[in-house]
Amino acid sequence: MITLTINDKEVTLEKPVSVLEAARQAGIKIPTLCYHEALKPYGGCRLCVVEVERMPKLQTACTLMAADGMVVKTESEGISKVRRGILEFLLINHPLDCPYCDKAGECELQDLVNKYGPTVGRYKEEKRKVPESHKDQIFARNMERCVVCTRCVRMCNDQQGASAISIMGRGNHSRMEPFSSDSFNCEYCGNCLTVCPVGAILSRLYMHSFRPWQVDNEVETICSYCGVGCSLVVQVRDESIKRVIPRTGLGVNRGLLCSRGRFGYEYINSQDRLTTPLVRKNGKLEQSTWSEALHIVAERLSGIKRTDGGSAIAGIGSPRCSNEDNYVFQKFIRMACGSNNIDSISRTGYAAAQKYFEELLGQGITTNLIEGLKNSEVIFVVGGDPTAVNPILGLSIREASRRGAKIVVLGNAKGLDRFKTLQVVPPVFREMEVLEELLVGVSGVKGARGEKLDVDKGIRMLSDTYSGSMDIEGIEELKQTLLNSPSTSIVFGMDLVQRANGHRAVFAIAGLTYLLEARLYLLSDRPNEQGLIDAGCVPDMLPGGRPLDIHDFKRKFETEWGGPIPEEDGKTLFEIIEGARNKSVKALYIMGDNPVFNLPDAQYIKEALQALDFLVVQDLFLSETAQLADVVLPALGWTEKTGTYTNLERRIQLQKKAVNAGSGMEDWKIISEVSGKMGYKMAYSDAEDIMDEIAKVSPLYRDLTYREISKGNCLWPYHGEPLRGEIHELPAMVDAASDFRADFYLALEKPLFHSGTLSRRSPALMKICPEPTLKINGAAARKLGLHEGNRVQVTTAAGSSEVPVSIDDTIKDNKVLLSNNFEGQGLFSLLTYTLDPVTKAPGIEGCEVRLIKI
Amino acid sequence: MEEIKRSGLRGRGGAGFPTGMKWSFAKADPKFPKYLLCNADEGEPGTFKDRPILEKNPHLLIEGMVISGYVLGSEYGYIYLRGEYPAAADILNAAIKQAYEANYLGDNINGKGVKFHLAVHQGAGAYICGEETALIESIEGKKGQPRNKPPFPVNVGAWSMPTIVNNVETLSNLPYIIEIGGEAYSNIGSKECPGPKLFCVSGHVKKPGVYELPMGTNLKDIIYIHAGGIRDGGKLKAVIPGGISTPVLPADAIDCAMDFVAMPKAGSMLGSGAVIVMDDSVCMVRVAYRALKFFEHESCGKCVPCREGTDWLRKVLARVEKGKGKDGDIELLSDIAEIMMGRTFCPLGDGAAGVVMGMIKHFKNEFEEHIKNGRCALSC
Ligand SMILES: Cc1cc2nc3c(=O)[nH]c(=O)nc-3n(C[C@H](O)[C@H](O)[C@H](O)COP(=O)(O)O)c2cc1C
Ligand code: SF4
Ligand code: SF4
Ligand code: SF4
Ligand code: SF4
Ligand code: FES
Repeated sequence: MITLTINDKEVTLEKPVSVLEAARQAGIKIPTLCYHEALKPYGGCRLCVVEVERMPKLQTACTLMAADGMVVKTESEGISKVRRGILEFLLINHPLDCPYCDKAGECELQDLVNKYGPTVGRYKEEKRKVPESHKDQIFARNMERCVVCTRCVRMCNDQQGASAISIMGRGNHSRMEPFSSDSFNCEYCGNCLTVCPVGAILSRLYMHSFRPWQVDNEVETICSYCGVGCSLVVQVRDESIKRVIPRTGLGVNRGLLCSRGRFGYEYINSQDRLTTPLVRKNGKLEQSTWSEALHIVAERLSGIKRTDGGSAIAGIGSPRCSNEDNYVFQKFIRMACGSNNIDSISRTGYAAAQKYFEELLGQGITTNLIEGLKNSEVIFVVGGDPTAVNPILGLSIREASRRGAKIVVLGNAKGLDRFKTLQVVPPVFREMEVLEELLVGVSGVKGARGEKLDVDKGIRMLSDTYSGSMDIEGIEELKQTLLNSPSTSIVFGMDLVQRANGHRAVFAIAGLTYLLEARLYLLSDRPNEQGLIDAGCVPDMLPGGRPLDIHDFKRKFETEWGGPIPEEDGKTLFEIIEGARNKSVKALYIMGDNPVFNLPDAQYIKEALQALDFLVVQDLFLSETAQLADVVLPALGWTEKTGTYTNLERRIQLQKKAVNAGSGMEDWKIISEVSGKMGYKMAYSDAEDIMDEIAKVSPLYRDLTYREISKGNCLWPYHGEPLRGEIHELPAMVDAASDFRADFYLALEKPLFHSGTLSRRSPALMKICPEPTLKINGAAARKLGLHEGNRVQVTTAAGSSEVPVSIDDTIKDNKVLLSNNFEGQGLFSLLTYTLDPVTKAPGIEGCEVRLIKI
Repeated sequence: MEEIKRSGLRGRGGAGFPTGMKWSFAKADPKFPKYLLCNADEGEPGTFKDRPILEKNPHLLIEGMVISGYVLGSEYGYIYLRGEYPAAADILNAAIKQAYEANYLGDNINGKGVKFHLAVHQGAGAYICGEETALIESIEGKKGQPRNKPPFPVNVGAWSMPTIVNNVETLSNLPYIIEIGGEAYSNIGSKECPGPKLFCVSGHVKKPGVYELPMGTNLKDIIYIHAGGIRDGGKLKAVIPGGISTPVLPADAIDCAMDFVAMPKAGSMLGSGAVIVMDDSVCMVRVAYRALKFFEHESCGKCVPCREGTDWLRKVLARVEKGKGKDGDIELLSDIAEIMMGRTFCPLGDGAAGVVMGMIKHFKNEFEEHIKNGRCALSC
């Protein structure tokens, strides 16, 4: 315990902190400029000077550790004089162009001068001149205003880990500059922008368009892009979003954001938004009214239900919609349409893997706090680049690495290239075998754990049939690292789920998790993949993860919902697609998704949807899928409605309404309208009303309220009862992967700057990354005579596309990567798939590709 | 270690910190490896005392470093050499090669089971890299800017390991101490800071050069006896006794012992022992301006008072020196210097402020004349 005196006030500290923090704890404010609570102290501005007894000079409070018995004075005539002097220094070369500077009103320098500074300046010499730089598409850089506090640099190095900027020049010529000089060419997280105290780094998205004090509404909500669910603040003026900012210390992201979260909000104001319902008349989609459109939907669905039975109807829910939307949607499909055919795009990865993991290891196995990553000693990263899929989770891995954790990567993970301690790169599409080899090796040392007999049995089966070891560099070290680690986290991306026998990779990861007692994290592309499952948007489970085939559960829901839930098993996503092709599914209702774009083999999917008798699409945009619909219903999006989302930690969070949208209706509302017209009444007053019902009917969500959720700490298993899982399917021992001997294979790139349908309608993200590029290893490119920016024709069995080349030496095998985020050029239009027999996820491996320079 | 402590050796890099004490801190830290860095940055204007050791007797330094390495349990040493000393780099590298060949450096020195490796690291021309923590940053490959203390380099230094930074001259005293013993060494020169000291005398003296004299030799004697007095019949006007960052002394204040204890009492500092002698042909406003030009150029930019203060001081001094001074400029200069003094992150800023304060204190009339007459009375 440390006790010191600050301004005659006795302060007792729990743990050692700086004098500055000690003063803050005591409610005493000391002015600062270079200090930022998220960053390491720097001691550059000298504004925080204080008097300390028995120390001859003034001391900077931000760098001085509080010590027992210290006597500190934070205000005095002398101190004021120094602060005034320092502020005068800061202004001598400052342009003082506050009337023109976007930062005015929330500028720390302005506030400090106002409070502590001189009223007149004595500087009569010439000021330093540096023109404002607009060479970057996103940031304006004004180095006349820079106070060289290095907050941006410390942020970029120590928190973001991008090391993209630095202070160039020396002394009076110091200025912040990106290493790539003109454009930032970085991860565009904007976290440097957050911490710049002055108008030296500015966002061009809203430059000169408003003043901070003109914001008329400010709403704390969560991001709409990925499964991390970062907290952010939306600032609104005249019903339009002016900007999105984080708040220091707030949320799972602790005040950091990624490029999508910060700059990807403009889609919501896009000109492309649907404004009225559309109805297909004479083969063409035409504007219609809500009453006509809803009438047609109810009529047609009722008709098909009458003639072909409920099982001819299917629904696709959305990992971008809220828990409430998805809950109402699955209830509608089950109760109003009479079908269990309900699934989502998440079947391509997250939902497929998550279910199998829970079957093997019990409910909640994938439920771990992102924070926990920082405290791991070994982090094993498999199947994707966390820094691109879930950027903020990726930052925790970088942080762990700075704290000395071992980061071991299987395959490629560009964003961890400077942070990994070991990388093992197997030949293409053989990661699964490496995992199995690891599992066999680990179990050889650890033996059976005896807790999950089925899993032990599966591992034993695997060990028995396992033949020979793989000769891959680093694999032994990897095994030893895992075996010797006192605390391991496994971060599992969906790349290996999307393989011909992806369930084997899932089983191997489950086995390793089990034997190593590791924490398991699943990467999640979309904001509500977990919530969608928990809300019952899966064919075989009711809300709260209750299996449909357990009678007691079904009975309970039937009582609550007032009617029978269909007996027949539901179809999974790809079974629905097959059903559409073979006419066993006649009507499909898609809420908030774009399968034609988001599923592999676009042509095949399109044909399936075209074969339907009736297709309804509810969306923000006239997407590739909506263009095929018979009825298109305009929905409301992020910031236009309230609802809860469940992130990949299974934390439930509130996404709040911030603006009044001109048109569109909440997804749940549209659905309950249709449902009512079909004779199954759903009368919810608002989203909270729906959550109240969920809390009532689902034992997982027992007693859950919006009040509790809004506190941000609503963690699994809430107050509910999770189920213990039981094993259904052991890994099928399919033959080892065939040899992949082609020169190049095409694989999916998950880019940091895009998510697909939404991000390509966000101008800022389009500026950062305007077109898809084919990522290829430098040595391979040289062999083909390809240079950065050259265009190539990319040809697969399914089709061909023309894209520019971008060299990426972090790709260490003969894969070439293409993203699936751009209209008309999506990778998925070039790929076919086979279904995994266990998880029902699409396998997209072994796609040979020919590259021809144009 | 005891022998070093007994000798009373104090660092010759400028601050005069007791070497034995510094070493015992680093030795007490259980972390390993420990690094020994020799500060050969010698960038302070007026200072050229380390150069003769580096160029004329590099083996003395190497021997000193091997001894230090042995005492400290350090197996790796670096000589951080001023970028503008390319000849010294060649000489040092050749000497290190010879030492390796003769097995005075290596994994098993002279078969005694002592390991010590040594390499030269050339700086890129920044004065601030002579400050020990900036030197460490620089040797780590980062931008040369001082670090926050504590933690001190003896605990968390180069690559976060316990690190000793010592001046060339300091380290070169070691073979001698070992040879004659700490006790005998402590009897040379001043009582509180014993030993021989290199004084480098420049300016208007008859015999400028480097003089090895006992610590505490009177400044007057250094100038008039050893360096032969003022040249060309000139009259002494002022002396900067310890390198440009030590305050100036007027001609009538130079009867003082040159050591770390007596000099502060005389109103200046021993610094590096670089005695800059100026006769009455020198304009002190111009000296102040040139000094500030140096400091402004060399300010690393980390802290506000130094970064902005040196810029402002230089600009005002430039004006005054050109005869464009205004009423109030002297007060302004004093004010700026006063805000800076003691508030900068490292002593470089203090040095800059000290120059201006010293000049105004002793030669205010010259500033006033510049402002009043619009030109320099000496028309230089
Ligand atoms: C701005 C600045 C420049 C310095 N330059 C040098 C230098 O060139 N050589 C040197 O030995 N010490 C220099 N020092 C002092 C070092 O920081 C440090 O005190 C010294 O190297 C310690 O060695 P010593 O204990 O042997 O004196 C400088 C200090 C400051 C603040
Ligand atoms: S946007 Fe992010 S990555 Fe880019 S410079 Fe700023 S902090 Fe670094
Ligand atoms: S750009 Fe902003 S944050 Fe960066 S050093 Fe300058 S003032 Fe500080
Ligand atoms: S990490 Fe995910 S949730 Fe967080 S800001 Fe980025 S996209 Fe949004
Ligand atoms: S006083 Fe400040 S700006 Fe000047 S050199 Fe030292 S740290 Fe750098
Ligand atoms: S806040 Fe302490 S020096 Fe800047």
